Amino acid sequence: MPETASSAAQHAPVVQVRDMDFCYGSKAALHSIHLDVEYHRVTALIGPSGCGKSTLLRCINRMNDRVAGARVSKGEILVKGKNIHDADVDLTQLRRQVGMVFQKSNPFPKTIYENVAYGLRVHGVKDKTTLDEAVERSLTQAALWDELKDRLQAHALGLSGGQQQRLCIARAIATMPDVLLMDEPCSALDPIATLKIEELIAQLARNYSVVIVTHNMQQAVRVSDFTAFLHLGKLVEFAPTEELFTNPREKLTDSYLRGTFS
Amino acid sequence: MNNPFAGDNTRIQRRETAARWALRMGSYTVVFLTVSIFLFITFKGLPHATKPGFLTELTSTLHVIESKSGEIIQTGPAQADAMKQKLGDQFVSEKTISYSGGGILGPIVGTALLVLVSVSVALFLGVCCAIYLSEYAKKGKFLETVRLAILNLAGVPSVVFGLFGLGAFVLTAPVLTNAPADRAIFVIPLGFTNLSFQGWDTCVLSGGFTLAFVILPVIITASEQCLQAVPQGFRETSMALGATRWQTIWRSVLPFATPGILTSTILGIARAAGETAPIMFTAALAFKDKLPWQKDLPPLPADAGMFAHWEQSVQRFLGIFTESVQALPYHIYTLAAKIPQNEYSEQAQYGSVFVFLILVASLAATSIWLRIHLRKKYKW
Repeated sequence: MPETASSAAQHAPVVQVRDMDFCYGSKAALHSIHLDVEYHRVTALIGPSGCGKSTLLRCINRMNDRVAGARVSKGEILVKGKNIHDADVDLTQLRRQVGMVFQKSNPFPKTIYENVAYGLRVHGVKDKTTLDEAVERSLTQAALWDELKDRLQAHALGLSGGQQQRLCIARAIATMPDVLLMDEPCSALDPIATLKIEELIAQLARNYSVVIVTHNMQQAVRVSDFTAFLHLGKLVEFAPTEELFTNPREKLTDSYLRGTFS
Repeated sequence: MNNPFAGDNTRIQRRETAARWALRMGSYTVVFLTVSIFLFITFKGLPHATKPGFLTELTSTLHVIESKSGEIIQTGPAQADAMKQKLGDQFVSEKTISYSGGGILGPIVGTALLVLVSVSVALFLGVCCAIYLSEYAKKGKFLETVRLAILNLAGVPSVVFGLFGLGAFVLTAPVLTNAPADRAIFVIPLGFTNLSFQGWDTCVLSGGFTLAFVILPVIITASEQCLQAVPQGFRETSMALGATRWQTIWRSVLPFATPGILTSTILGIARAAGETAPIMFTAALAFKDKLPWQKDLPPLPADAGMFAHWEQSVQRFLGIFTESVQALPYHIYTLAAKIPQNEYSEQAQYGSVFVFLILVASLAATSIWLRIHLRKKYKW
């Protein structure tokens, strides 16, 4: 059942980025980012290439830890009120809470079933019934169950590009994360597959808080409730999507939306 | 208007033709030489290799007996005297040629055992090392130095590995024993027994470990490349799903690197099977009249229980690895360099070389088959 606006309002922001600086070695990538991701809403990050929107996204599940020299140099990120850089944070648990879908659909070269079950298996779930239920639930939520229920044991690479990306979404939500990060999930897809994913994002927002990075401003308008515009590592403007696109406060946002620079 | 850049076309064409022919001739020369070697060995070796018993008998001394009627009889040491008596006054002369009679079962078994030990050791150490270098180690100067060292190791002459094996495994490696030998470098008492650094002697184990170090650089380098060839996306996705690094490696990296690792391993096997110098000081014998498991153990009393039988079987099995053995490459070396050459030693030699060639060729074929088969299973 879709959450009503009032019940969503009772929840504190699920992700809170507090005045965060981020750098790769000596090169600063993000400056004083301050951003709240609302509970069960879609938040879009837009901005020109290299503005740091993907970096910001990857800060939230600490995927940047893999990059040598990358670190948060100031501020903090709270997920459900807990600082994710605290010493007692278990990275695997954080990533179970904060799922991620990548730009390039990249299912494992395994069966469809094993792809979806992967996250549960690495968290030690062995029970067949639990796995079966999780696979069905995730595929249903990813709008794939009807298409694929008869060939769960087929190889995932035999699926079409759009199906593969939805499978990646199913895989990411199998562990029931609170937040779903999506890094330009449609950039490699054709318009019809893109449309399906966009419809899916709207449905996913009933159960998950979604943060999506996109290059496509129309897409941000179509799918998101809130939009953050980043430029040169700074958060220029963050507002409800409708407000930002119809009545931007900042001149920079306005000229970006008009396409006078990109 | 003519294109001002259109030069003398015939000159360019002539160069093109020359280059194509030079490259073609180079390739043809290599193919021609390889095929001739193979045909030559087949021609000389096949008749002897297909003689009954060549693959199933142990090596022995060849006795060549000539009779008055000009008949030449080749036989082993066991039948030689009987043959002479049978000929009686027909007997003219007898020649004995060492190592050239019987078959090459001993060397085949020995080579198989050495390969088994060396590949097990090299695969375990090599894959561990490759995983660490590729997945865990921090990129930087130190890692580059380690890589350089491994590459250099591949260039070390095999005789140096042989001497290293002699020093490290034959003379120094630790054994558990109640009665340490006098030559032990030092002994650590463990209470119930002693850890004595007295070496493993020349045996399959010493030779296998030495060969393992010969093929280790190849296996590490190839395995690391195979791991690197697995798309980074698999690792990222797996980590993003909350897998630990080891879970990621075990579930999403190693399976897809396995085909390549196995291919390089099989090429390593071919290398290990063919090396002579490393086993010369560590494992190989020119001659042995027993297979490694045909060891004289004290006979068990008639009322010995199942446990005693079981214990003896284990002892017999472990004993295989503490025996020195004959090995194919060393056998070929012995036939070629250690005994006077004549037509009889030559045929034994070509027979062995042919069998060895077939062995290596079938290993290479297996590696190709395995690669195709596994690629199908783990394609991405």
